Amino acid sequence: MMPVDAISLGVFRALFEGTAEEMGVTLQRAAFSPNIRERLDFSCAVFDHQARMIAQAAHIPVHLGSMPASVESAIHASAPFSPGDVIVLNDPYAGGTHLPDITMVSPVFVDGEPRFFAASRAHHADVGGMSPGSLPLSTELYQEGIILPPVRLYRAGELQCDILALITANSRAPQERQGDLEAQLAAQRIGEARLKAIANAHGLERAEAHAAALMAYAQRITEAAIHAVPDGVYSFEDTLEGDGQSEQPIRIHASVSVSGNAMTIDFRQSDAQAAGNLNAVTAIARSAAWYAVRLLIGEDLPVNHGCFAPINVITRPGSILDAHYPAAVAVGNTETSQRIVDVVLGALSLALPDRIPAASQGTMNNITIGGIHNGKQFVYYETIAGGHGASADGSGLSGRHSHMTNTRNTPVEALELALPMRVTRYHLRDDSGGVGQFRGGSGIVREYEFLTNATVTINSERRIRSPYGLNGGGAGICGGNELIRGGEITPLPGKWTGTVTAGDRLRISTPGGGGWGAATSDTPD
Amino acid sequence: MKIGVDIGGTFTDLVLSDNDNIRIYKLSSTPDDPSRAMLEGLRLLSDGDLSRIAQVAHGSTVATNAILERKGAKTALITTAGFRDLLLIGRQNRPDLYALHPTLPPPLIPREQSFEIEERIGADGSVITPLNIAALDALLAQLAVAGYESVAVCLLFSYAHPDHEQRIRDRAVQLGLFSMGQIALSHEILPEFREYERASTTALEGYVRPVMNRYLGALESAIPSPLLIMKSDGGVISAGEARKRAILTALSGPAAGVIGAHLIAKAAGFDNVITLDMGGTSTDVALIPGSPISRAESAIDGLPLRTRVIDIETVGAGGGSIARIDSGGALQVGPQSAGAQPGPIAYGRGGMQVTVTDANLVLGRLDADHFLGGAMRLDIDGARQALERLGMTLGISKEAAALGVIQLANTSIERAVRRVSVARGYDPRQFTLVAFGGAGGLHACEVAERLEIPRVLIPPAPGVLCAFGLLAADIRLEYRDSVLMTGEEAVTKTARAVERFIHEANIDLEREGIPPEQRHFFPLIDARYLGQAYELTIPLTNALTQTFNAAHENTYGYQLDRPVEIVNVRLEAVGSVDKPILTRAPITPNDAQNAKISAAYEREHLIPGARFSGEALIVQMDSTTVVPPEWHAEVDAYHNLILTRGKP
Repeated sequence: MMPVDAISLGVFRALFEGTAEEMGVTLQRAAFSPNIRERLDFSCAVFDHQARMIAQAAHIPVHLGSMPASVESAIHASAPFSPGDVIVLNDPYAGGTHLPDITMVSPVFVDGEPRFFAASRAHHADVGGMSPGSLPLSTELYQEGIILPPVRLYRAGELQCDILALITANSRAPQERQGDLEAQLAAQRIGEARLKAIANAHGLERAEAHAAALMAYAQRITEAAIHAVPDGVYSFEDTLEGDGQSEQPIRIHASVSVSGNAMTIDFRQSDAQAAGNLNAVTAIARSAAWYAVRLLIGEDLPVNHGCFAPINVITRPGSILDAHYPAAVAVGNTETSQRIVDVVLGALSLALPDRIPAASQGTMNNITIGGIHNGKQFVYYETIAGGHGASADGSGLSGRHSHMTNTRNTPVEALELALPMRVTRYHLRDDSGGVGQFRGGSGIVREYEFLTNATVTINSERRIRSPYGLNGGGAGICGGNELIRGGEITPLPGKWTGTVTAGDRLRISTPGGGGWGAATSDTPD
Repeated sequence: MKIGVDIGGTFTDLVLSDNDNIRIYKLSSTPDDPSRAMLEGLRLLSDGDLSRIAQVAHGSTVATNAILERKGAKTALITTAGFRDLLLIGRQNRPDLYALHPTLPPPLIPREQSFEIEERIGADGSVITPLNIAALDALLAQLAVAGYESVAVCLLFSYAHPDHEQRIRDRAVQLGLFSMGQIALSHEILPEFREYERASTTALEGYVRPVMNRYLGALESAIPSPLLIMKSDGGVISAGEARKRAILTALSGPAAGVIGAHLIAKAAGFDNVITLDMGGTSTDVALIPGSPISRAESAIDGLPLRTRVIDIETVGAGGGSIARIDSGGALQVGPQSAGAQPGPIAYGRGGMQVTVTDANLVLGRLDADHFLGGAMRLDIDGARQALERLGMTLGISKEAAALGVIQLANTSIERAVRRVSVARGYDPRQFTLVAFGGAGGLHACEVAERLEIPRVLIPPAPGVLCAFGLLAADIRLEYRDSVLMTGEEAVTKTARAVERFIHEANIDLEREGIPPEQRHFFPLIDARYLGQAYELTIPLTNALTQTFNAAHENTYGYQLDRPVEIVNVRLEAVGSVDKPILTRAPITPNDAQNAKISAAYEREHLIPGARFSGEALIVQMDSTTVVPPEWHAEVDAYHNLILTRGKP
């Protein structure tokens, strides 16, 4: 056994995290689509040979617990590997989450064996399917785009041009896809090179011993955080507002049991899987649950396999959080994941009333737009931030992304240079935060004017049921979607797909965060 | 006689250069009025006759501190209607992914100081909605009555059509409500797309300009000689220019040291250098492959700043960085710092937490009796007890704990060196590490060893290298325009812009007193494949596509068969100044025994030609150098310490 000490642990943490960070920088810089290069909708991580995550760069929380499944799936489907292989996949039922998230996995060979894996996941703005942007109001997976089981994009160092051509041909923006996939491959090369360099410089045995020690270390910290939560069983539930096919509410229920250093999060009482696109695969439930627990850890912590170990997540097959193939899953990744966090935090608020914040906006406000302009296809995806929940520590942030996402906006100037549309307003939404001793953060108003005919799909939540307040604080104000045509304003449902014509405007108002504590007469507005 | 003045939080350093005569003077800073110490130093060095000074080059943290302490001018923001919250929404991401209650630093310009004006420019520069003059007049009157000292204007697509921004300023001046200088226009400050970054840079300019204006105005009336001000990109500009573009100085603190290190290393015969400037709270690392590199993106206190800065990596590992054991049982060092107050335990000012300095002291790398030339006695017992306690928690001796603290600090620094070298395709083994700042010499050899850097250079006065660098900095002006075109059209527009820039630069350099033969022009373009968002900077050549493809291949490992888009055209105009003359002293081979007191060598007594082997300690007024075992020290003809590993 290699000596591992409190000091060498810090050294290896820097080495592994530095690798994931560098992969991310490369991907961002070389990418083409606004979604990756401006909004940073991607994650990079490194794994050991058992698909246990060693380090993830601080990118997108929803990818946190779902990347290990990709690596597992790549190993399961494609081993044995050759040096220079790169596996690509997006199948939610084989290591993916939803089809636009394309994951690449590279085995890293040391002494003739795959000892590490480098992985990157990026949200590609269009992978086909029934509406531009590949987040349709679907009822089965086949409607959502091209399905990639784990396949080799590189075989022993040789690009499989036919596979690449197949992927790009299934996108409404094939050139952009090719550029983004190349950028993702560049990140994979960096990850592979860095991991090899670490093994060469420090010896494989020492590197692996430290990877394992980093996991044990993260586990100890996570256990300490769980230990600080009073033992007990805490239950909470909240709902989604309909699956795009009906407005029938869908219940998400969490029962959180804390006992010493261990936590079980049981989602089995959640509703059955839905006909529409809000279903989630278990990796999403795990990601969201882990994220919520990660928030309890007040200190800097390497995010790796060890953080997951003390938390047992249980789902019921056939339920909304553990859907059967080929259920539609397009926005389970974005919307359902946010509600899972809301219910886990809600349950924890019963144990830790002074620490847990009220609900944040609880949606990502997914907007996808596509059409043909000057004979060329265009497609665009973005999400819009909203209000954060207030807590005993103060008011919630306004106009910022919360919980399972942290993607940036596309600058208005970048958007208008690239697409036939105009942003006519983008500002905070007054008085949308829940009232209370501390106010919830404000949502955002973002309004687009279309300069050409286009197909628009909206996947949003918290349009009917508001983000909860806590400890007597008021709920955040619900969001709203409106179509403005010739001066006439038509409210749109939370999930909508339709065509717009040049001159139409779409106004999205995002929810405010919940308030915390009862408002008193001297509470400022 | 020329004098460089660097004002830091603790000391004000002055370096005088007069032909081949170089003199150094160090005095305590006067934070309530930083210019007091400066003027006192100038009087002393000029024997009371300020008119003898031909030029003063000054590095100031006035702009930096105004931002960090939120003590800038009361500033209003004017945006396109519908975009008032531009600065508050930012890029809509939160700074800390896993915070239960995320917070943001207070904005420079709060919401109630942000205003909208009816107007709109399109992406192609066309006017969608004309500027509403009546509303503008009312708004300007409102701002004047409310007593705003400064106004930052950022309209959408103003870089493509500056007319509306210009008219806002013209109108304000015409109505007698504001002066030209009180209004910062985004298309002048940063003619580039991406509204948030442009607005942020413009707001920063508006916020610090009045403060800088007052400070430099007072200095100009007190000092009869021309005054040059350090910028973040390592060049200097006249005080007059700096009063108009104050934000260019915001990150100038570490830049002067890089310039100073470059000059000294070059004279000593080393062209490829990595600088390591280690102070109390952080360490700044920069790579100089022949000449310093600058970059376009940076931030101050989380606020994007898009002016050129020397490409410096900063890590939170300095002498004052705090060591602690986290709940998982790992030792962590930094980024929290004990700063100068209370400082390390060893300072005896009430510091309770183990710092890197305490670890160095316990390991005998600092001399408790000769710290700061004996001006401060270090509390070695306090440091020992604290490391004993830290070691007990970890189950190791106090020495092992101290070594651990040093090792983790060195790991952070190593990561920064890797980022500027390996990550950018440079092999550190081909570089010389130039270490300075109070703690640079303590850590340099061990950092070099980790990266197989063969040589370390410690300048004669590592504590005043920034002041020295000020004397070596060239006048550096930048001209830029947004292009956003491909093909022939782009090439034509670029060529015309460069021609215009050279004409302007000649006028500006003339005014700065730079003769034509000392003017150098570097036309550059920022380019990308059409559809990418980030640009690579390449020199303007006839073979644009090949040059870009090669640069892309070099950076990302592949190239594409796609049109190359020119995003910006820039001209860097350099007016080279006469550098301080470093004189060679005769080399007298000697074993340095003359400089040896007890266990340490006194730097001031080491003469060129001195050679000795580690393990050794070299002490001087404001810094200490550790020569580890298997390392050898030699003093070169410029009094630099050259440390190498292996056989002497």
